[in-house]
Amino acid sequence: MTVIFESGARSLLLVHAVLGFTAVFAATHHAASAISAARGRPAQRQLRRFGWMASGSVVGQALFGLALYPAYRVRVRLADLERSAPAVAQLFDLKEHLSALALVLVVGASFAGRALQRDAPAAESRAVAALSGTGAALVWAAALMGLYVTSRHPVGTR
Amino acid sequence: MRELRASLWGTAAFALGYLLPGTLGLPTLTYDPVARTVGFSARVSGVAMRYYGDLLWACAAGLGAAAVVWSSRRPPRPVGVLAAAALSLVALDVAFYLSRLLAAV
Repeated sequence: MTVIFESGARSLLLVHAVLGFTAVFAATHHAASAISAARGRPAQRQLRRFGWMASGSVVGQALFGLALYPAYRVRVRLADLERSAPAVAQLFDLKEHLSALALVLVVGASFAGRALQRDAPAAESRAVAALSGTGAALVWAAALMGLYVTSRHPVGTR
Repeated sequence: MRELRASLWGTAAFALGYLLPGTLGLPTLTYDPVARTVGFSARVSGVAMRYYGDLLWACAAGLGAAAVVWSSRRPPRPVGVLAAAALSLVALDVAFYLSRLLAAV
């Protein structure tokens, strides 16, 4: 029985992790810039720069995560976690859902943030900050949960 | 700002489109990684998964809502209300999935 992308699972996991860390830091910088803009400080250049980085890395790490998911499902979840640690399997499910929500929040905040003007109404800059801050918080949560599950049983190992 | 309104509507629709197919048992794309088969079903069994399908539903809902708002000529709603609604729906999703984790442990 061969699962799709199983032979390259370790390489995929490494790229997924690197992009995940990039997403964490870019989304955090974007959120900090959005909060600065909401407080009336000029942050339009940072919003554009970190917007591209955050949305690119979040989409990239999501695509690599989706490619890894079948191998995780069969070799880690079914073969190990469901018997030895069902709570960890449930934690990974939560991580998947938070990642999906983080994806739309970070992409939406980046798209809105790149168009935010310096003299934008306070309600608009606050809305961008709220989107971006929530997205960054969910990216952090998903990254920590992913690290915990991977430390227990990385995909690509028996 | 059109970009912000499209993002907020897209986020709200994504959150709804992600939550509803699974909770209501709507048919979606399924994938069985052992048999390596793709299907379209409301129920999954064994190792088959509906995550890809639920994500596709959510992306379609989010992109559709954002596109409609982007091209709409109707007077815009207040940004604060839109942001509160979008983030409330995200919070609802998080609370629902967190409750499933807590119920299982």
